[in-house]
Amino acid sequence: MAVFNRRTLETLCSHTFYIELVTVNLHTLVDSLLSDTLETSLPLFRPELAICGTIVLMLLVRVIRCERFLPPFCLALVGSIVALWLALPSEGLAAWAELSSQETFTGMLVFDSLYAYVRVFLLAFAVLFVVLSQLTGIADREDGQDYFTLVLGATLGMCIMASANHLLTIFLGIEMASLPSYVLAGIVKGRRRSSEASLKYAIYGAGAAGVMLYGISLLAGVVGSAHLPTIARELSSLNIQAMLASSEESSIVMVLALGGLMLGVGLAFKLSAVPFHFWCPDVFEGASAEVGAFLSVASKAAALTLLIRVGVGLGYVQEKPQAELAIDQPATVAEVSTAGQPPTTFAALKAGSIVAEEGASDPLSPVRNFFVILVAIIAMVSCTFGNLAAYGQTNIKRMFAYSTIAHAGFMMMAVAAAVALLGRDTIHAQTAISALLIYMAIYLFMNLGAFAIVAFLRNEMQSEEIEDYAGLIRSCPVVAVMMTAILVSLVGLPPLAGFWPKLRVLQSLYEAGGPLLITVLVVAGINTAISLVYYLRVIKVICIDPEPDTRGPVSLGFLPVAYVLVVSLPVIVFGILPDTVANWADQATKHLFY
Amino acid sequence: MIHLPLAHLLSEPVGVSHYVMVGAVLFTCGVLCMATKRNALGVLMGIELVLNGANLNFIAFGSHVLRNDVNSLGLDGQLMAMFVIVLAAAEAAVLLAIALNFYNNHNSIDVDRADELLG
Repeated sequence: MAVFNRRTLETLCSHTFYIELVTVNLHTLVDSLLSDTLETSLPLFRPELAICGTIVLMLLVRVIRCERFLPPFCLALVGSIVALWLALPSEGLAAWAELSSQETFTGMLVFDSLYAYVRVFLLAFAVLFVVLSQLTGIADREDGQDYFTLVLGATLGMCIMASANHLLTIFLGIEMASLPSYVLAGIVKGRRRSSEASLKYAIYGAGAAGVMLYGISLLAGVVGSAHLPTIARELSSLNIQAMLASSEESSIVMVLALGGLMLGVGLAFKLSAVPFHFWCPDVFEGASAEVGAFLSVASKAAALTLLIRVGVGLGYVQEKPQAELAIDQPATVAEVSTAGQPPTTFAALKAGSIVAEEGASDPLSPVRNFFVILVAIIAMVSCTFGNLAAYGQTNIKRMFAYSTIAHAGFMMMAVAAAVALLGRDTIHAQTAISALLIYMAIYLFMNLGAFAIVAFLRNEMQSEEIEDYAGLIRSCPVVAVMMTAILVSLVGLPPLAGFWPKLRVLQSLYEAGGPLLITVLVVAGINTAISLVYYLRVIKVICIDPEPDTRGPVSLGFLPVAYVLVVSLPVIVFGILPDTVANWADQATKHLFY
Repeated sequence: MIHLPLAHLLSEPVGVSHYVMVGAVLFTCGVLCMATKRNALGVLMGIELVLNGANLNFIAFGSHVLRNDVNSLGLDGQLMAMFVIVLAAAEAAVLLAIALNFYNNHNSIDVDRADELLG
């Protein structure tokens, strides 16, 4: 793989003495850029290109006025299925285990087995979601193009979030995923609550993105690079402990920590982690249930993957790409970049120098500790707060919003464990990430099923209050049984699928050890017990309470019931046979770290 | 003698720190604007200030004139600023559309009127 180093180009261009070198190198650089884009990056980017093509086609169909022959639903469905098919490896899912990490588009994005898994996950969700939108009728003929364009655009943004390898693509991905979501929250016209939800979401979101961008500018400016592995290498060349001790250099560490915190604000907003969770219940209540499903599954999964990318990217130096870099770089270039320039604090790392392998992990332990403490505390608080606040809710979507906050907290615990384990035991760190991937997959079926049921019932009885679901088991037994299974699985009780990922997360927390993560383990255990009560309350209303006289017969059509069955049966199947999902996740994380 | 913080900025030639200082002031103004304005458009202006504060940082950190060493962000800084300018325009368009939708339903763009959902 041709590694194209931007700094090399800039350093060369800034030195007029080396004009000849520039003319020689410009050709090779353009050549390597072309081959990198056309031969390496674009073939790996095909599913995303399919999504882009679908979006353009959907918009064009409206311009040439033939949407009667090409309904937007069909286009969106075909486009997302083609993208999913392109994302699946042709030699079967076992090929993920052999996939090595590869930087694409000159290091802006990264393609590894983790991204391959998350991309299949996101695109599979997109297919299921497009079908759900059509069945519930939220995308009618007039709004269809807009709706599906926004959904696919947000999916594209989430794909970029999940593969980001550069601070710019992190920001771009978050914005590309957020902007369509703001509009989706208010897509139902003429509803006061819907417009209020979307205004709140947009203002909070834009504010968080602004703060995050400022943090990124500080981080990138102080370190002198925005490429995550380069930042990690630069950070590993610093002696952060010694810098903290001296009064002059401690301010640099403070700026770095401030930048990291501000970057965390944007991530925490996307994860709806506790200090930045205000939007979540409001948006879920005001927006339609389908959009709630989209925000709680796809958006959370992408944000968690991004959290892994940031944590691993800043806290761990991959040895293999570094060796390649050293080989690819001509010795002359290294001399150019250092010659005649005063050594600054961060100039300790020369362009071509190799950080010794044994020294590569140690200097980053302050970075990892900072990240782990931050994520662990926020995860504990989110989990507890979400579960406690879900008690008093009367609206089912609002209850699911708090349940989403709690589950996001639970999943963040796995990230904390993975990053804590990175320093000493990469095998167990991979297990922690695989636990998170299993959690995401199971969570897709649980939450998509739950929100689909809420949406179908809303169409039938125009209500989303928990008390209106009383005695549902007698009027539509299949849906009521499925809802019960999903709720029990959300608690994490053994016969159902929700149990396995929780168990794995707790296992990795135990492996990680240390006083902080053991506290997290205890908090996670207590929270599972707390969550039992409010999920069981809904089950009691559905299964035991008498039917109200005011409600007419509730009968869903054949297709909605079939959809609910298809989406929620995996909750039972994977509960009994969890090996399939576990295998996919294990293969996706097998060679994540060298 | 009293040492004022940042007083050395006044006696030094203009460098990265001056630009970063202006960026920090813009950022603070933007955050204050977001926190205190009740009008959705005022909040939007605050967001633009924050984004521009960050942009100024990117340009300053990436400038070869201000800071000509290996740590300079270089072209990356300028590229990031360009992307952010485009994104800020897109974000403003979406936010204005959402504010208009809110106005149609509430006859006001006062964010305090958005109180039907109990966040």
